[in-house]
Amino acid sequence: MLLEIIKFEWAYRKGRPATWLYFAIILIIPIILVSTDAIKIMGGGEQTKENSPAGIASLEIAFTYLFVMITSAVMGVAVLRDFEFNTEALMFSTPIKKFDYLFGRFVGSFMVLILIFFAMILGFTIGEFMPSRDVTKLLPYSFWHYLQPFLVLVLPNLFFTGAFFFAGGALTRKTVIIYTQGIILFVLYSISQNLMGDIDNREMGALLDPFGIRTFGYVTRYWTPAQKNTMLVPLEGIMLYNRLLWMGIGVLALVITYFGFSFNVVRSGLFKKKAIVEDKQPKIKPELVKIPLVTQHLNGWTVIQQTLRNAWFYAKMSIREVPFLTIVIAGVCLLISALINSNETFGVKSIPNTGNVLGSLGNFTPFLYAIALTYAGELIWKERVVKFNLINDAMPVPDFVGILSKFIAMIIIYCGIFAVLILVGITVQAIQGYFDFQLPIYFEHFYFGQLVSMVFYTILFFFIQIMVNDKFVGIAISILFLILQGVMSYLGVEHSMLSFASGDLGNFSDMNLYGHFVKTFSWLSIYWLGFTMIIFAVATTLSVRGTEELLKTRWLMSRHRFTKQIATFSILALMIFIFSGAYVYYNTNILEKYQNSKDGQKDQALYEKTLKAKYEFMNQPKIVESDIKVELYPTKRSMSADGFYYLKNKSAQTIKEVYIMFNRPVNVKELAFSGGAKIKQQWKDWGVTIYTLNKPMLPQDSIKLSFKISVDSKSFLSGMAGTSLVYNGTFFNNSAYFPSIGYEEGGELSSEDDRKKQGLKPKERMMEQSDKRGLSQNLFGDDGDWIRFQMTIGTEPDQTAIAPGYLQKTYLKGNRKYFSYKMDRPMVNFYAVVSARYEVMRDKWKDVNLEIYYNKGHDKNLGRMMDGLKKSLEYYSKSFSPFQFRQMRIMEFPKYASFAQSFANTVPFSEGIGFVLDVKEKDPNIPFYVTAHETAHQWWGHQVTEANVKGGSMLSESMSEYSALMVMKHNSKPEVMQKFMKINLDQYLAGRSLETKKEMPLSQVEGQQYIHYNKGSLCMYALQDYIGEDRINSALSQYIKDWQYPGPDHSKGRYPTSTDLIGYLKTATPDSLKYLIKDLFETITLYENKVEKAEYIQNKDKTFEVTLTLNSEKFRADSSGNQVPIKLNEWIDVGVYGKDAKGEDKLIYLKKHHFTKKDNVLKIKVKEEPIKAGIDPINILIDRHSSDNVKILSKKEVV
Amino acid sequence: MQLTITNLNKTYDNGVQALKDVSLTINQGMFGLLGPNGAGKSSLMRTIATLQEADSGSISLGDINVLTQKEEVRKTLGYLPQEFGVYPKIDAVTLLNHLAVLKGITNTKERKNLVESLLQKTNLWESRNKNLGGFSGGMKQRFGIAQALLANPKLIIVDEPTAGLDPAERNRFLNLLSELGENTVVILSTHIVDDVKELCSDMAIINKGQVLYKGNPFEAIEAIHGKIWRKRIKKEELVDYRISHNVISDRLIAGSPVIHVLSENNPDGTFEAVSADLEDVYFGKIFSN
Repeated sequence: MLLEIIKFEWAYRKGRPATWLYFAIILIIPIILVSTDAIKIMGGGEQTKENSPAGIASLEIAFTYLFVMITSAVMGVAVLRDFEFNTEALMFSTPIKKFDYLFGRFVGSFMVLILIFFAMILGFTIGEFMPSRDVTKLLPYSFWHYLQPFLVLVLPNLFFTGAFFFAGGALTRKTVIIYTQGIILFVLYSISQNLMGDIDNREMGALLDPFGIRTFGYVTRYWTPAQKNTMLVPLEGIMLYNRLLWMGIGVLALVITYFGFSFNVVRSGLFKKKAIVEDKQPKIKPELVKIPLVTQHLNGWTVIQQTLRNAWFYAKMSIREVPFLTIVIAGVCLLISALINSNETFGVKSIPNTGNVLGSLGNFTPFLYAIALTYAGELIWKERVVKFNLINDAMPVPDFVGILSKFIAMIIIYCGIFAVLILVGITVQAIQGYFDFQLPIYFEHFYFGQLVSMVFYTILFFFIQIMVNDKFVGIAISILFLILQGVMSYLGVEHSMLSFASGDLGNFSDMNLYGHFVKTFSWLSIYWLGFTMIIFAVATTLSVRGTEELLKTRWLMSRHRFTKQIATFSILALMIFIFSGAYVYYNTNILEKYQNSKDGQKDQALYEKTLKAKYEFMNQPKIVESDIKVELYPTKRSMSADGFYYLKNKSAQTIKEVYIMFNRPVNVKELAFSGGAKIKQQWKDWGVTIYTLNKPMLPQDSIKLSFKISVDSKSFLSGMAGTSLVYNGTFFNNSAYFPSIGYEEGGELSSEDDRKKQGLKPKERMMEQSDKRGLSQNLFGDDGDWIRFQMTIGTEPDQTAIAPGYLQKTYLKGNRKYFSYKMDRPMVNFYAVVSARYEVMRDKWKDVNLEIYYNKGHDKNLGRMMDGLKKSLEYYSKSFSPFQFRQMRIMEFPKYASFAQSFANTVPFSEGIGFVLDVKEKDPNIPFYVTAHETAHQWWGHQVTEANVKGGSMLSESMSEYSALMVMKHNSKPEVMQKFMKINLDQYLAGRSLETKKEMPLSQVEGQQYIHYNKGSLCMYALQDYIGEDRINSALSQYIKDWQYPGPDHSKGRYPTSTDLIGYLKTATPDSLKYLIKDLFETITLYENKVEKAEYIQNKDKTFEVTLTLNSEKFRADSSGNQVPIKLNEWIDVGVYGKDAKGEDKLIYLKKHHFTKKDNVLKIKVKEEPIKAGIDPINILIDRHSSDNVKILSKKEVV
Repeated sequence: MQLTITNLNKTYDNGVQALKDVSLTINQGMFGLLGPNGAGKSSLMRTIATLQEADSGSISLGDINVLTQKEEVRKTLGYLPQEFGVYPKIDAVTLLNHLAVLKGITNTKERKNLVESLLQKTNLWESRNKNLGGFSGGMKQRFGIAQALLANPKLIIVDEPTAGLDPAERNRFLNLLSELGENTVVILSTHIVDDVKELCSDMAIINKGQVLYKGNPFEAIEAIHGKIWRKRIKKEELVDYRISHNVISDRLIAGSPVIHVLSENNPDGTFEAVSADLEDVYFGKIFSN
């Protein structure tokens, strides 16, 4: 019998078009995904092959999540459909055993489900052989690479989710419950994601993800590109536990289904309906009742009343439903979990200001879409599901009333949800003691930004539901639309007029609020409103009314249904669409130069092909002085500048031509050379002009280059102003708008893939250390070495404008305020202009003026930052060299970018990274640390400026990391330091796993952040741990002495490289530890240290003897991450922890032991009772499994 | 007002021809549409009720073209579908009130009166505040009738209204229909001959999408008066009789079949004459060769 039912189910499903539709979706999407540019979603880049086993596995596993809708549609209805088609009585009255019925259905449906998902393997395979694939980016085809993850990841997922949906459908007999289950899965997945944010919770997060996506990410998080290309995820460890856990829950779901399923047509049990006892003797005699005559008012006002009442009716009905409540409650729960773990920067939370809370509330957005998706389906099908449609459809209301009122019902629901979210936000703020509720911002965010986009999506989902006229298929297609939208940009569809609901209110900044984004958002929204109004009219005209469901019939009927009102509405919609579209187009494509990224790449390639060969090595003069008057108009988002450079020919040759370039297409009103010049050639699109000087520059000659430029924001996009020129919080540096000299390599394509596509040869990211040209220029480029600097900035009178240098005077002229700055010593050719409405905090360290310019209200961490300034100035000037300036300023800028950047005596500092952190006692003091890092750049960058060659950023960034780490080390607890270094270790290991080209040793770093920041921190911290801070500092102090203010004019005649720096460090390192220089700086070296066994005994003399069985390995990796073991000959920490008076862990033993072989047994005597012990316990070395370094000790009794 | 159906045709996607060249003229008063299950009654009713399209032909209600001016028809329409459901978690007053708004009864007082009297009329007054989900089949059916009577419709279409009702309820309902006055077109579809017999002044019999008879029930009976013959036979004889005689119905009485035959005279002398009734007309139209 069981077999019969399975066969029946299989045959039935095989005949259903939906089965093949799902099959087709899962077949076609992989083909599209891998054979177009959408493949880039996978990231990876050049090193990781497009069909790497790890990449395939991550795609396959993602599919089970993305298409969980299909799983629910196939498995959820396996039993449910008997109830929906009212065939349950037939089914259950036949002599089928419950077991056979249930498991027959389950197995049959599950087989169909496997068949459907198996399509992805076919799809990927077909995709792999598509002609568009580039063989060099592929590994040879391997079926096993597709099958193994299917067996290990996909099948268990299908089993668990399938069993889960099957149980839900069978036990509740309600379709809507299946959505609810989908939501529960999503919440579990999201919670596991939240857990992953904290290093300590990752294992738990990996275990809890029902899809195993996080688990997979966790297992492979440190895989190098080489490993990704060769390794399959083995079914072991946490991956195995995760699979077992969820398959077990799947089995449990089936068992519960078996025992919980009632084989009766009429259900008894959980939700017993109260039967209504009829009154047999009516008190009122129906015969005597007269039906009163009433008047029908069928006019416009009635229609409005009908629409609104209907809307309210639907809204009320929907919010009482279980799935709705589940979605909202689940969403709010997730929200609270997200709000609690929100906005972590290096493990530090942010204060709950409105901007941050809004960010966290964004976690609810997927739930809004879930509601839109499911309730668009539910409401469109409302009457038909309960079979009330014929009565309802015969009511004398216009066609649009039904759909319009359903739409309004959705809007009412959203508005209600938004009210709840705002309440949650405010409550969370209040609980955390934050009472500056910015209600208008909340309202703008939800009732403007969010609501508008929900309006668009709701109409779209309605439209889809009406067109396909099948609830599940409708939802599936809607989800597909959302997915496609996500990949559209990879397929070259980027224009805001082509990507649905493209308006975006942007990032909320406390400084600039929603700023100029409001305008763009509004215009794009009007445009999309026009569009959605059109599809709304189409949906209304084609909506199902009565029994005609065929689209063809509905189309034929539509001419009778296209009423005057709908026609008027459509014309209005069309006009809005066309006129706003025209205006948007005028702004995006006529006032601005529009280029999609493909054209942009072509243009970049053309730039390189046209100019590079000819001009890259062109001998150019250097800027030696810059004096500019800048006029900022923040409310207009425009500016103008009038200034000059002095250029000097530092070479031995005569210079006849000068190559001038503007990075953005600014309006150049005037550009003149003191001796006169003629334009030789010009490329307007690239802002490049070559001038022939009337009087060639002889060696050591100087000329004055004067220029007048302006940046006008004519279009609402004002792409040129971008987020640099904004209402409050202008911030840009000299390369943004001011002229630069000579060919700019920065304009070239850098990704190897893109270069190849454009027919360009691969190129190195940076110049070799032996390259003379590289050695003669510094990290800020080849425009100048050390320059004289002066700048006057005019701005609106309520703003303060700041540039490097010392304030000479401020004055008011007309309705404008001017600030004049002058630097009293040469500085690098790198300066920023900042202007905003600021509050100031002032202090002094010795005779240095310290100032922090901040946005009102962002005062929480000013003390920490000021402390950072003082402590670091103190430490650096004592350890390295005196501070060269009399002033140090920090200026806050809006969080459109999250960094701080050190210019000569000024540090623009993003509002997103230090000002709003809520630093707790156990947290790394990030505001303090970042300040110390930026201050360190006044030495590493502004005193010793590195050559623009490989390894360069080790000199500025890694040294600043080291310096800041030392200041932090002296000002925080060892545990906090260890926590901080562990984050660095994690970020380094994760960073190298995502390396696209090649991982370099620190000494050859090519601007890779995970190397110069994270690995730089780790290696310098390790070095000071081995040889001592003082030795390093005296080496650095000598290094500064030799290399201060370097360059062509310096006695050394060039800028320094990492080889120079490492030379000093090597000298400071004792011979026994010299191997460290190679391990830390010159190679990629990793360790695997592990405690195998840890025991202790108590001696009679009250001392303790700890016995540790340790395992140590050392590896060397190449640039792709292929690693080979190398011989061990190391000094490694061994540590034992006890407890202090407060019961906290305390190191009672820490000493470096010499290791020469893999397996070691150590005996250590300690005086206090030990708790745990291990090798490299404070994570000094780079170890991919840092948590197995320490183990809890077990006590052995002495026999 | 008169409802005129002319040459109406409808074929479904699956090839079933639901209506074949149907032409009917329906005057004010009760009109019975009689036919077996699947005869096309509901298809015809739905088409008149603006819920289904016709492939060809026309329907007019007075000056209104029913097939294109649906809005106009709906204003005066009261429709009770053969099979319908309700929102389970809503009570009768709320839903009826809601529907009254959709009917365009915007005056709150009027609406309240109407809703109350309809609930009383359909004997749902006591259960008016209970969720419809708990209603029995009969109660639900009465609710359907109540909503069909909202806003004094001029065209009432009731599709198999008595199907789920017990005899007392059925009586009450038929009385109610008969009360609706003479200036209303009431179309009652049923497969129960008695419904038509008791109520309708005019009727049509349809089967397989075709109109087999239209006219007055009494005239129809008159037409076969003296031509209906009855005989009690043995079970095994039934097949033979079917072949040799024009058997229009057979019915078991006390375990053995009693057949009715339509014939000008006593077929073989062994039959006894019975006075024809509407059922004989019905079976005669449907089953006679």
